[in-house]
Amino acid sequence: MEMFPQLILNSIIAGAVYALVALGFNFIYGVQKFFNLAHGTMAAIGGYAAFYFAKILGLDTYVAIILGVALAGFVGFSLDKFIYLPLRRRKASNMVLLVASLGAMTALQAVIAILFSSRFKTLSGNVDTQKLFTILGGVITQTQLVILLSVALIMIGLVVLFCKTQFGKAIRAISDDEEVARIIGINTNKIIGYVFFIGSAITGFAGILVGFDVGIEPTMGLNLLLKGVIASIVGGVGNIYGGVLGAFLLGFVENFGIWKISGEWKDAIAFALLIVFLIFRPRGIMNK
Amino acid sequence: MEKSIKWVVGAAVVVAIVVSGYFALRAPDEVSQKTIKIGVIAPMTGDLAFMGEGIRDAILIAKENLGNTKNKYEVIFEDDQLKAKMSASAANKLLSADNVDAFVTFSSVTGNVVAPIAEQNKVVHFGIASDPNVAKGKYNFIHWTPPSEENKVFIIELQRRGIRKLGILEGNAQGAAAVIADLKEQLEGTGIEIVADQAFNFGEKDFRTTIAKVKDSGAEIYLLMAFSPELEILTKQMKETGITTPITSIECFELSEQLSLFEGEWYVNSADPTADFASKFNSKTGKSPTLGAANAYDIFNLIVVANEKVEGTSKPTSDQVVNELMEITNFSGALGNLSVNEDGLVLSKAVIRMIKDGKPVSVGK
Repeated sequence: MEMFPQLILNSIIAGAVYALVALGFNFIYGVQKFFNLAHGTMAAIGGYAAFYFAKILGLDTYVAIILGVALAGFVGFSLDKFIYLPLRRRKASNMVLLVASLGAMTALQAVIAILFSSRFKTLSGNVDTQKLFTILGGVITQTQLVILLSVALIMIGLVVLFCKTQFGKAIRAISDDEEVARIIGINTNKIIGYVFFIGSAITGFAGILVGFDVGIEPTMGLNLLLKGVIASIVGGVGNIYGGVLGAFLLGFVENFGIWKISGEWKDAIAFALLIVFLIFRPRGIMNK
Repeated sequence: MEKSIKWVVGAAVVVAIVVSGYFALRAPDEVSQKTIKIGVIAPMTGDLAFMGEGIRDAILIAKENLGNTKNKYEVIFEDDQLKAKMSASAANKLLSADNVDAFVTFSSVTGNVVAPIAEQNKVVHFGIASDPNVAKGKYNFIHWTPPSEENKVFIIELQRRGIRKLGILEGNAQGAAAVIADLKEQLEGTGIEIVADQAFNFGEKDFRTTIAKVKDSGAEIYLLMAFSPELEILTKQMKETGITTPITSIECFELSEQLSLFEGEWYVNSADPTADFASKFNSKTGKSPTLGAANAYDIFNLIVVANEKVEGTSKPTSDQVVNELMEITNFSGALGNLSVNEDGLVLSKAVIRMIKDGKPVSVGK
C-alpha cells in the first residue's frame, strides 16, 4: 500500500461522507436560512431505521435502506410541519428556530438511545465479507466505493432537480426571496416541506452508508453535522456545489494534515480550517 | 354518614397505633446496627455497559456472601457511561443525596475525577484503575495490576516470541497513557524498538490515515490501546486495509464484547480470578468474570473488613477505615492473597492470555 495514493483515497472517502451531509444541510439552508441542528440526527434516524428493518425485522437490506431513507425524510418533513412551520407563521427569529432545532436534536437522540441503547452498532457483516479494491496502490472497500458513487449520483440528481424542473425553479425562487415567491403564487410552505423531506432523506442515506462503513450510535449525527457545517461554510453556505467542494477540501486537509503529525490533531485541523475561512473568506469559496 | 366518619377515624387511630408501635419496637435494633453506604460509579449504559454490569454483579455476589457483620452495608450504583462529566455528577449526587461512606470507581478516567472529590470530602475511594495518580492522597486506593507489572510481563512475552519491532496505536486516555509511558521506560535497553507510535482521540471513527502511516513501519506486532467502540473499529479498518501483522493489547481486548475480532491473538491481562470466584460469578450470571469484576468483589470485601475491624460503638470514621485498610496484609481475595502497600495500592499479578474460540484463555504465567 502506497502512502500517497492511500491518503488521496482516504481524503476522497471522508470528503464524500461530509459531502452527503453538507448537501442535505445546504439544501435546507438554501430555503430556510437557519442552522437546523436537528439535521445531523437524520443520519442517526436513517442508520437506526435501516438497522431495525434489516437486523431486527430481518427484511432485505435494500428494502431496509429504502425504508430508512424514507423514514429520515419523513421525520425531517414532520419537524418542519410541526415545529418550524408554526414558528415561521409566528414570525419567529432564526435564533428561535435554531433553539427549537437544538431541542428537537436532543429529544430525537434521547428517543434513539431509549429505543436502541447508546451502544455502538454496525450494519455490515463480518470484516471478511467486505470486497477490497486496489486503485493506484491504495485500498478501498466495497462500501466506500458505494459511498463515492452515491455522492456522484445524488449530486447529479440535485443539479437536474434544481435546473431542469419546476420544483427546482420554485426552490430557487424561495431561496432568493420567500415573500416574492409567495406573491407570484408559489406554495412556499409546501415546497419547503418537500425540501425538508429530500434534505433529510439524503442525510439519512449518509447515516446508513456510515453505518455500513463504520457503525452507528445515537450521537453520530452531531459529529457528522459539525463536519457538514464546516464543509458548508468553507464551500459557501446554502450553495449545494460549494458544500460538496468544501466537503472534499475538508477531507483532504484533515487527512493530509495528519500525514506528518499524530492523528489526534485531526479535529483541531478541521476547526482551524473553519476559523481561517470565517476570518478571511466568511462567505466561503463559492460566494452565492 | 356519621357512622362512616367514625369508621374512618377509628381505622386511622388503629393504623397510627400500629405504625408508632412498630417503629418504637424496631428503633433500638436499627440504631445498634450502623449502615455503611458504598457508592459505585461504573458504566451501566453505553458501549462498556457489560463491564459495569460485571462490576455490579461481583459486588452483589460479595454482599450476598457476607456473613454476620456488626455493620449493615448498602450499595448504591450510579451510571457514568465512562464519561468524566457524568462521573463528577454521579460522585456529587452520591455524596450529597446518599451520604456515602466510600466510593468504588472503574477506569482511570472516572478514578481521576472522583479521587480529588473523595480527598476533599474525606471519603474512602477505591479505583479499579491503571493510572497511579488515582491513588494520590490519604483516602484514595487502587486495586489493579499496575502498569509496571503488566509491561514487565508484556516485554518478557515479546522477547520470548523474538519480536524486535513494535507499533503502538493508542487512544487518548489516562490509563492507556500511564501504561505506554511506563512501557517506553521499560523498553530501554531491551533491544525492542518502537517503530510506530500513533495517538487518536476518543470518538474517532476514521483511522484509515493513521493505519496507512503505520502500515509500512515494519512493525512485527501492533499494540492497540483503546476502549470500545474505537478498538473494534480500528481492528476492523486494519483488517480492511489488508494488514495481517499480529495485534496485541494490554487489557483492552477484554474491554470489547466482540472478542472474535481478536481470535488467535495474545495479550496481557490483569491477574486471573480464583476458581472459587469464577464459579460464584458464573452461577449468578451464567458468564465468565468480566475485566475488573474480581477487583470489585475484593474491594467490597476490603471495605467491609476495614469497617468491621474498627472498634467502638459509633459509626467508623473515614480516618479509622483508612488506618485499618493500610494494615491489611495477606487478604484472601478473588485475585489471590492481597496486601495494601504504603501507596494505597492493592497489587495483583499480570498474565498472558489469548482469544481462543471467541473466549479469553490464560496461556502461561
